[in-house]
Amino acid sequence: MGIYIFRRMVSAIVVMAMVGVFVFLLLRFAPGDPAAIIAGDNATPQMIAGIRERLGLNKPLPVQFMHWALSMLGGDFGSSIFTGRPVLQLLSQRLEPTVSLSILTWILSVTMGVSFGILAAWRAGGSIDRALTVFAAVGFSVPVFVVGYFLVYFFAISTRWLPVQGYQPIANGVGPWLVHLILPTAALSVPFIAFIARITRASMLEVLSEDYMRTAAAKGASPYAMLFHHALKNAGVPILTVVGLSFAYLISGVVLTETVFNVPGVGRLVVDAINSRDYPIIQSVLILTSGLYVLINLAVDLAYTLIDPRIRY
Amino acid sequence: MTILRRDLFKLGLAAGAALSLPSISRAQAGPVDVQTVRLVLADLQVYDPMFSVGAATQNHGMAIYDTLFALDSKFMPQPQMVGRWGVSDDKRTYTFELRDGLGWHDGTPVTAADCVASIRRWGQTGSGELLMERAKDISKKDDKTFTISLKEPLGALTERLATLAGNCLFIMREKDADRPATEQVTTNIGSGPFKFNEALVKPGVSFAYDRNERYVPRREPSDGFAGGKVVNVDHIICENIGSQQTALAALQAGEIDAIYGPPVDLYSVIESDPNLVIQVIDKAGDDACLRLNHLQKPFNNVKARQAMLHLIDQEAVLRVIAPDSRYGRPVTSIFGNSTPYSNDEKTDWYQPGGDPERAKQLFQEAGYAGEKVVILQRSDTAVVVNATQVVAAKLREIGVNAELAPSDYGAYSKRRANKGPVEDGGWSLFMSSDSDYVQGDPTAAIYLNASGENAWYGWPKNDEFEALRAKWPDIETIDHRKALARQMQSIWWDFVGDIRLGQVLTTGTFARRAALTGFIEMPQRVALWNLQKV
Repeated sequence: MGIYIFRRMVSAIVVMAMVGVFVFLLLRFAPGDPAAIIAGDNATPQMIAGIRERLGLNKPLPVQFMHWALSMLGGDFGSSIFTGRPVLQLLSQRLEPTVSLSILTWILSVTMGVSFGILAAWRAGGSIDRALTVFAAVGFSVPVFVVGYFLVYFFAISTRWLPVQGYQPIANGVGPWLVHLILPTAALSVPFIAFIARITRASMLEVLSEDYMRTAAAKGASPYAMLFHHALKNAGVPILTVVGLSFAYLISGVVLTETVFNVPGVGRLVVDAINSRDYPIIQSVLILTSGLYVLINLAVDLAYTLIDPRIRY
Repeated sequence: MTILRRDLFKLGLAAGAALSLPSISRAQAGPVDVQTVRLVLADLQVYDPMFSVGAATQNHGMAIYDTLFALDSKFMPQPQMVGRWGVSDDKRTYTFELRDGLGWHDGTPVTAADCVASIRRWGQTGSGELLMERAKDISKKDDKTFTISLKEPLGALTERLATLAGNCLFIMREKDADRPATEQVTTNIGSGPFKFNEALVKPGVSFAYDRNERYVPRREPSDGFAGGKVVNVDHIICENIGSQQTALAALQAGEIDAIYGPPVDLYSVIESDPNLVIQVIDKAGDDACLRLNHLQKPFNNVKARQAMLHLIDQEAVLRVIAPDSRYGRPVTSIFGNSTPYSNDEKTDWYQPGGDPERAKQLFQEAGYAGEKVVILQRSDTAVVVNATQVVAAKLREIGVNAELAPSDYGAYSKRRANKGPVEDGGWSLFMSSDSDYVQGDPTAAIYLNASGENAWYGWPKNDEFEALRAKWPDIETIDHRKALARQMQSIWWDFVGDIRLGQVLTTGTFARRAALTGFIEMPQRVALWNLQKV
């Protein structure tokens, strides 16, 4: 197990290095000039040239790459070329909203998705199953921003129950923090609930048709014991895989959700940085995200051993 | 597993209680804070107003810095930081004395040395270069007095010091201003009516200002950007809300007080809400313009440029960029509609609907042989997308091989600097806009520079026009300038430096809650003093 984890950690570093090279080259070859954006739309070409020179954007690419790579290895992620603020400082300001939104979305999605899936499988073919199937199809198909604006209209503008937008740090109190996250979490969770519910239902249906389930029923096992002790545990591996994979989708969903609800998270930071060609921010965020993705997949792989004792590394 | 009706009832009660919790918490939030104004403004990415001409940066400068002179509502320069000033009989030496009570946010006094360093730094930008060309010496005489000596008289010196075009002359501390204009100042310490609240800055999200308690406003009443800058609120929080729909919903819900530049297609929604008001603060608005590439085919031929002049149907363009006729009208003068120099010299090309047949004939006379005409299209701005589609359609109607090249602002801003042919990544035309008010000063208006390779994108060149433009700063009376303006416009429309698409008033507009008043109605910049919230 220890060797396996070590190998995976090494592979994570290799992946991050490859992402770094790829992102650096992609950004430099993509059209766009940060100096022109900084100077403003009506700036003269002379002013833009001066800023480009000052920022070192005229230097050869290998020189720029080496400078950046060496700084990264030394733990210096650089500074925003617009605000001049350190990238890590900008990231730390944006991390809490994104992490809060992601964790709440995961909790809500997994609990509701798995519950709906189990319920649908248990009542397969019935009205609950059909209703949940319709919900899953619609929930997975409707874009997050449509759900978002729908929720804003009913719960923020019409009823004034919840705020339209914004974020309150948890340090300001759990109440305000939660109130500002209810709508974004609900909007972002819908497709994940639908996705997890469908996978859970399919996986549970397969397990429920196994001989040992019939044996358990014949032995007089309660519905609770059959569903949760016998079926869910055996259906758990594909569900866990989906939960792990959904992280990548969650990142893309977070970007949209943060925009719709004006949540100041990492997603919006990246989108703004891409629009303004703020290279240090884009590079750092993508490298860190790729590392996180590798680590989450590692955690999922390790979690398999808890569900299925036959799996060994 | 049986679900009882009693369980369902309990579930309903629990859900009801959970849903009402937020409304309870809102009810406990207390009354509206009239000392804090929340605005949705463009993101403040660059802090130094000498480093960037971006509107957000210049507006930031208006809040935290002060200016030597400021324009009143009639666009006349009035002393702001300056107390007394005078000019020598030969009009070559100006002496300025700072008024009492000026101090930096860090508590130190503003000195003449700060002003001298700031003017010199400003002189490195496009807005200040003319002064630096004419200046023989800029130096301090004592802590409160400095002089500007000129090689030859400059008629509009105080007007230039108060300019709103490009980089405004904001006075910074000497130690900040003692660096090149291409190196950003990020200390944000000014002497203006607001202090920048560094603790509340979240780049890309929000920034905030606090009232500068030590600021001493002039005694004169507020008049345009001149007069007393009286601050009536303690805090101003500026938010960057990425989605305009969300911003409007927040405005309707009272979470914010005003949105700058709401999208035109939401005007009807705003106007139907009794709590909301649309207020045009920039009555001059912007002039939309087509920049033609004078260096490459087909627009390196004057006939092709004249063809564009006849082809453009300003009403058709205005229908997509300002669908409500209250907020848009044609513009035929290169000096805009709102300036004293607006005139009708050589504007016979204009006719509602354009003249496509004449345009087609002129393209033929230009020897146009089906070359690709590439139209740069900023896809992040709806009005540009729509207007360039209209232009492309008009060109195709007369047989021109027009091709739209959509891209985000980053790619667009890089490509428009390419002077090469379209086959090498160049371009033929793009749409832009600039303040109508700024067109009244041809030495500051980037569109009205026809110096060729050193001109703004499109690089128009006309020596005769440039010779007249060079005379502009030396002319002191409006009547003489009006005469010069007619001569310049006559030349411009002959060689067709660019194409005007219409004047729009939607760019300098606030959608605000009725409870927030006091916006200063001036072009180009947003002033945050004078606001009042009830």
